[in-house]
Amino acid sequence: MNNDNLVISGREFSSRLFVGTGKFSSAEVMSAAIKASESEMVTVALRRVNIADPGDNMIEKIDTSKCQLLPNTSGARDAEEAIRVAMLSREASGNNWIKLEVTPDPYYLLPDPIETLKATEKLVKEGFIVLPYINADPILALHLQDAGAATVMPLGSPIGSNQGIKTRANIEIIIEQAHVPVVVDAGIGLPSHAAEAMEMGADAVLVNTALAVATDPVQISTAFKLAVQAGRMAFLSGPGSASKQAEASSPLTGFLA
Amino acid sequence: MPELKINGSIKSYESNSFPASLSDLITALDLSNISIVAEINGTIIRKEDFPNTALQDGMTIELVKFVGGG
Repeated sequence: MNNDNLVISGREFSSRLFVGTGKFSSAEVMSAAIKASESEMVTVALRRVNIADPGDNMIEKIDTSKCQLLPNTSGARDAEEAIRVAMLSREASGNNWIKLEVTPDPYYLLPDPIETLKATEKLVKEGFIVLPYINADPILALHLQDAGAATVMPLGSPIGSNQGIKTRANIEIIIEQAHVPVVVDAGIGLPSHAAEAMEMGADAVLVNTALAVATDPVQISTAFKLAVQAGRMAFLSGPGSASKQAEASSPLTGFLA
Repeated sequence: MPELKINGSIKSYESNSFPASLSDLITALDLSNISIVAEINGTIIRKEDFPNTALQDGMTIELVKFVGGG
């Protein structure tokens, strides 16, 4: 697996695990979890400073010499808001990578396909490297790819739900058709879910809640790292297919004869 | 009294304490140690322009920073 790096927009990543930084109990735990995950792609969000209690400068706790910072546009409800957040994020991060999220519905946080496509077209023209979060819609994935998206990021299940990969059939079609990397994002609650996505041929997965809410975020980050590696290795090994009938593992050439 | 709308809240100043520049405002709010991005009346202000961005009565200012997110 020496030359199995993930390449997004010309940048190489040896890790196929992207991690989010939300919901951790402290910046120190977050930092230790990122380190354990060996992730090289780390998401952050942009919010108003609370003037009365500005909090710490969490970005300092992320080693940007090892990780690509990937700001998201979470909170944006339409293309216009997402573009505004992207512009501010570019100023804050000093780079042009953006995880595009447009989620008008606060209950399921499902992404708006039309506004996501609109924002992608605009942001690509503005020189952004756009990684859009989408429902597992193969046709939308193709439209985004044509619009210049650097990856597509179909959801496994709703954000933060830990339900695993409920959209398997559609993600398989996206993986089959996409020319850009496919990153399964959202809903991955266990290392086995991450491994499943990688075995299917996903190029990477993004995990946040599953790490942050675990009793031991650092240990589960290591578990996710290993699961992503195992899933990728299995995919590259060309695993056998499932069959309905038994297939004897031992030779059937007669008993002790 | 001159005022600024900062992150959605109106803040009034005595004329002699009104911050002259965006840098002065950030210092006065004790935010100098945080990586902040600023927007004034919808326009992003580059960090290097903070000191020479003069503030005026009635400006709408957004100060944002990175937080944890997925």
